[in-house]
Amino acid sequence: MFETGVRQIRLAVGMLSGRRLSTRNLGRLVADAVTTLAEFGEPGAEAQQLLGGPQADPETRQDFAERGLRRTARRLAVRSPFYARRLAGGPTEPGALDVDKLRAIPVTTKRDLIERPGDFVCTDAERYLSTRTTGTTGRPAEIWLSRYEMDLWSGLGALASVIRDELRPTDVMAVNMSSRAIAATHLTAATCRLAQSGCRLLGVLPPDDALDSLCGGGATVLATYPSYLAELVVAAQARGIGPDDFKLRRITVGGEVLSPALSDAARRTFGVPQLDDSYSMTEVIPVTGRTCSERHVHHDLNTGLVEVLDLVSGEPAAPGALGTLVITPYFPYRDCMPVLRYDTRDVVRCLPDEPLTCELAGTPGTSQILGKDGSLIRLGPSEVITPRQLIDAIESLPTRPWPARYRAAESGGRLRITLPTAAIEGFGESATRHHLAEAGVDAELVIVGDDQAAELRRTRSDLHEVSFAMPAALIGA
Amino acid sequence: MPHASSFAIPLWQQSFIQAAVCMVGAVLVCLGALYYFRRYRVERPPVGTFNGRDITILLAIILALPFFYAILPAWAITCFLCLTFAASLSIGYQRLVNPAVFWGGLGLLLGANIYESHFMMGTVIGWQVWWVELDILVILGAISVSNLYVQGGMRLKHVAFFAIALAFYDVFSTLVINVTAVLVEEFVGQPLDPTFGFRFQATNYGIGIGDLLVYALFTVACYKAYGRKAARLAIGISVVFGAAAPSLCPLLIALIDFRNDILVPSQLFFAPVAFVAYLWMRRKYGRERTMAEYLASEDNAAPVTAPAQPAPAPEPVGV
Repeated sequence: MFETGVRQIRLAVGMLSGRRLSTRNLGRLVADAVTTLAEFGEPGAEAQQLLGGPQADPETRQDFAERGLRRTARRLAVRSPFYARRLAGGPTEPGALDVDKLRAIPVTTKRDLIERPGDFVCTDAERYLSTRTTGTTGRPAEIWLSRYEMDLWSGLGALASVIRDELRPTDVMAVNMSSRAIAATHLTAATCRLAQSGCRLLGVLPPDDALDSLCGGGATVLATYPSYLAELVVAAQARGIGPDDFKLRRITVGGEVLSPALSDAARRTFGVPQLDDSYSMTEVIPVTGRTCSERHVHHDLNTGLVEVLDLVSGEPAAPGALGTLVITPYFPYRDCMPVLRYDTRDVVRCLPDEPLTCELAGTPGTSQILGKDGSLIRLGPSEVITPRQLIDAIESLPTRPWPARYRAAESGGRLRITLPTAAIEGFGESATRHHLAEAGVDAELVIVGDDQAAELRRTRSDLHEVSFAMPAALIGA
Repeated sequence: MPHASSFAIPLWQQSFIQAAVCMVGAVLVCLGALYYFRRYRVERPPVGTFNGRDITILLAIILALPFFYAILPAWAITCFLCLTFAASLSIGYQRLVNPAVFWGGLGLLLGANIYESHFMMGTVIGWQVWWVELDILVILGAISVSNLYVQGGMRLKHVAFFAIALAFYDVFSTLVINVTAVLVEEFVGQPLDPTFGFRFQATNYGIGIGDLLVYALFTVACYKAYGRKAARLAIGISVVFGAAAPSLCPLLIALIDFRNDILVPSQLFFAPVAFVAYLWMRRKYGRERTMAEYLASEDNAAPVTAPAQPAPAPEPVGV
């Protein structure tokens, strides 16, 4: 208890001082948290404060953000060739930066990262591991990570997971994520090691193989993508297996849109009380977002600044308006290849300017991610159809076309959706059109053969890792 | 700890009075700690549970305390004891009573004891009032700290080893280097002397707060680990071997020190028996209950608190 108190003070002092944190101290704190839960069954009453930090009070939050920004900008101006150029001669000294003055600095785009990756690597950081984005939305970017970052993020993740009871020593986590998602898989394995849980890095296996590994208590926690979860649900229902065949207590998904229809089906099929839908992105790790019961995304403001900028003007988006998430991870949470004002092009809607009532109300939130800016369908000056609207509507069809395969485009001021035959089979085109209209998606339909389904919309589940004996098979409609 | 320069009172009588005082102290602290443990929860930090290294740290502090007292002036020791009592009592009781009543009552007790130490020690009544105030502080403090430790995760195993280590220290400091005798001599009549006791005629009788704390810890840890039967056994051991046996042993062994005080290292009698009792209970009942298992059992009479918020956060990283 005394030692743990000293470790907590060291962590808190490190966070406030802005120096690199001791990852060894953090690892030991995770072990202390595991022991605490073994003894008490739950953490002490102020555990959320340990994780949440000073986010509830706006003034404290602003002060915290300013200090984080200045610290980060000062380092980047000296250590990052890209930002040394960008910040040189700028209107504001890095040490005098605040949230308002930050807007004078242009956002960083994915193109910047792809074209000049070496310029983003800080001169005082030691490169350890590189990870590439999967490229489902364009050319992949390569991100270098330091050993310190990997230890730090897994330590912070494990501490949060243990305290929130997301990972227990008795858990075995099945990780059905692409093996190319190097950062995600390495971090998940390291997090499990610190939390003293088992970890099965399985990859995007053929769904039946994955189900075999989940059945009979092969895993208690499943981490995957919504599209692959959809394939698992379809395969499980086809095999007639249900909640009694699994010992899952938690499913966590991220990286794609999770529709309510698929979420409900997964809960029923696997027998878990709820699905955790997170937001994160390799370029801006470790700034992540959690989805609350009212379907807001609440971003972790301890590790970075999150702005929502209007899609056209680039100014802060108004309440109720669409905006792109622009994220700045703070030093010392981002070390090797940090970004300042990284424009994710992930679109959210700003929440109305009124107090939140959800369980995460202490942290500001936005709507869930609605899709990439490039995937929005603009039908008029004010009418925009988002990928989330389309996926929610299509996946709620009674034909259970999971994961949703579609193509959407504007045609003469009207929405046109292309669907594979299987998506409407047994339900009919007219009923489908009516169903979509009721879900708020009034569109004309184009039906194509199932052989074209995968071309309509690429999902992460398409990154199947097959064996020699097994041909790749298309699942989903 | 019969402490007097006069042996007008026969030794057997002193021993029995000392036994009675110690037994009252032991019973009060054991029952009080158990009552508190069954009904109230002490706030604990978000992360952290008592472990073996904490015992080592506690022992190091206990070893260092006499030297600390030796170098500090009297006023500084009084301030230190004020802080110690205020901290230990606020941990245990601040949430249970109105803050004004708590801090007012605490201030009154501390202030009155300090005042009486300077101005009312000329009469037996003055001494007795002084002792009563001190006894309230000591008993409440021991109850609070024992609950802080056990509710913080201290196990019966820790208590048993802690007692054994204290026994070695007690014997060494009492019979070998006479630190205890010097401390007792220095402290009796000083403000906030951390001792439970009373005065009859010209003699003070008492038992140190450290011994009472160990008895409270043993009782509560037994109850947490194995339930009512274990707690009854623990109280019996505390009263017989922690209070009665050390008090009556001067009838058999000459323990009068160079200052004519009779100082008996209580842990010498209590700790070995407590340790054997721990081994026996472990063999008979098996693994100790965790705090979570205790809270879920019928032995817990405290109101059930809502479980921690189940956590919505996932962590797969999108790429």
